[in-house]
Amino acid sequence: MNPLAVQLNRLTLQNPILVASGTFGYAKEMTAYVDFAKLGGIIPKTVTPQPRPGNPPPRTVETASGLLNSIGLDNDGFDQFVAEKLPYLAGLRTSVIVNIAAKTNDEFRRMATVLNAAEGVAAVELNISCPNVSGGVDFGTNPELAADVVRTVCDAGDLPVIAKLTPNVTSVVPIAQAVADAGADAVSLINTFQGMAINWKKRRPVLGNVLGGLSGPAIKPLALRIVWQVAQAAQIPIIGVGGIQCIDDVMEFIVAGASAIQVGTANFYDPGLANRLVDELTDVVAQEKVESLTDLVGTLQISRAQ
Amino acid sequence: MNTTEQSCLPGMVFSARQHTAVVDGIREMAKETWAIRLRQPELAEQITPGQFFMIRTADGSDPLLGRPFALYDTYADQDGRVVGIEFGFVVVGKLTSLMTHWKVGDTVDVWGPLGNGFPIPSAKRLICVAGGIGQTPFLAVATEAIGLKRYGLPQRQLQERPESVTLCYGVRSREYLSGLDDFSLSDLQVEVATDDGSYGYHGFVTELLQQQLETDRHEAEVFCCGPEPMMKAVAAVCRDASVKCWLSLETPMACGFGACFSCVTKVREDDGTWDYRRTCVEGPVFEADRLVL
Repeated sequence: MNPLAVQLNRLTLQNPILVASGTFGYAKEMTAYVDFAKLGGIIPKTVTPQPRPGNPPPRTVETASGLLNSIGLDNDGFDQFVAEKLPYLAGLRTSVIVNIAAKTNDEFRRMATVLNAAEGVAAVELNISCPNVSGGVDFGTNPELAADVVRTVCDAGDLPVIAKLTPNVTSVVPIAQAVADAGADAVSLINTFQGMAINWKKRRPVLGNVLGGLSGPAIKPLALRIVWQVAQAAQIPIIGVGGIQCIDDVMEFIVAGASAIQVGTANFYDPGLANRLVDELTDVVAQEKVESLTDLVGTLQISRAQ
Repeated sequence: MNTTEQSCLPGMVFSARQHTAVVDGIREMAKETWAIRLRQPELAEQITPGQFFMIRTADGSDPLLGRPFALYDTYADQDGRVVGIEFGFVVVGKLTSLMTHWKVGDTVDVWGPLGNGFPIPSAKRLICVAGGIGQTPFLAVATEAIGLKRYGLPQRQLQERPESVTLCYGVRSREYLSGLDDFSLSDLQVEVATDDGSYGYHGFVTELLQQQLETDRHEAEVFCCGPEPMMKAVAAVCRDASVKCWLSLETPMACGFGACFSCVTKVREDDGTWDYRRTCVEGPVFEADRLVL
């Protein structure tokens, strides 16, 4: 038995270490640094129905232990992705989870139908949480709309469906429960937190798009909080994302209730990390004397008495 | 099916690696301007003029990301084996401030080589135009063009060396002039301009370039690196003179290898429209005519 294997409803992963959409290009960019076959899976950059030029630069700025970005879903469009990028991805010896975003259910349906017929796709992750494009946030901030999208994509075929949710809401719990009820196999928690950087002397925002999404170690406590809250209240496997840069970070998400994790911003500054984490997870399973990493999921104990 | 070779972008370097490097030396070159030597043989033997690499402090998360630095030159050990890289930088922010306190023996994270670098010179006259710390790539460019040294793995071979190599180097003021000793190579003509006239020609480096192009301009090509307004001016001079011009962009980057889509610049398409392209994997060196400046 593979002690790192993960089951997220219909989706089986060889290990829980994924790489987050938007931080890994379309994988080819990472060839020099990463052994893809070792990863639990790859989530390429978000694809939209039509090509998008993306937002004007500056698109990123570093903040204290964080990265604020406003790329704006720069991509060459779904058709080009399927014709030119997917064949390469499908040839990699790991699970490929295609991340898609759209403004209407019809567009989600069209892309999901094509992906269901394509070779080499393990699952679909729905980006209903990008803070940097108008029309992108609405699905993810409303439980009914989020559930509609998930239902639409689930109805398009048998591919497992993951909903990537936004933290920019009062509570993620009802949205997570809604997408679970609609048939999602898992939720990715969370996308970036909306933020801002200012050059006060110039009286100007730093980012070309004014607002951006914050990622990196700065958001890890916020992500852990949401993972834990959703794990307590909703019935759906969780993929934890937010500021992971070492094995202890991974284990914090696991005990908080995540069954798998995504390495995000750290791919930019430590591209070898995701590979090392797989080795280190094997060591943790041995040290903790459990048969499977799954035995450690959600094992956080809360002592109310003290 | 799409093969790796077909879709390979000019600045995507499949032989790049993530390394630990050891600080081998640090020197102050000019006001707010420093040079650091990093011992990393695998990177040093691969890198070519105009390519860059990313550097990050080995621990901590503030500063978080790596920063791009261009090759100044490689250096060899006593046996003549290429073992490290030297790069120059101006103190502009958090990481560069910390770097001035690095000590010999410190270890840092580095990944590369990255980017396409400057092309192999193909004209009879090579004119390098540098603004400020934009002089960095031109030591290796000039050293290779003159024939004093070869770079890359396998080592690059110039079919035909330029008959003349000139560096036009502009800075604000004399105290910012860096590396003049390094650039005093036989067969390299160095022309300096300062904005305030405190050294060399009193005026902009573009005027030095114009002087250079007064004769034999049809045999010249220009390599340029510096602040954006200066590169824009150099590109305009070259366009008017019908001289081929290559610009090395200094776009801020988060990763350096094409994953983040931060470092985009407007690049002209064949049909006259433009698209945002990643400086790191499509450049950082572009033909000036392709850029929407």
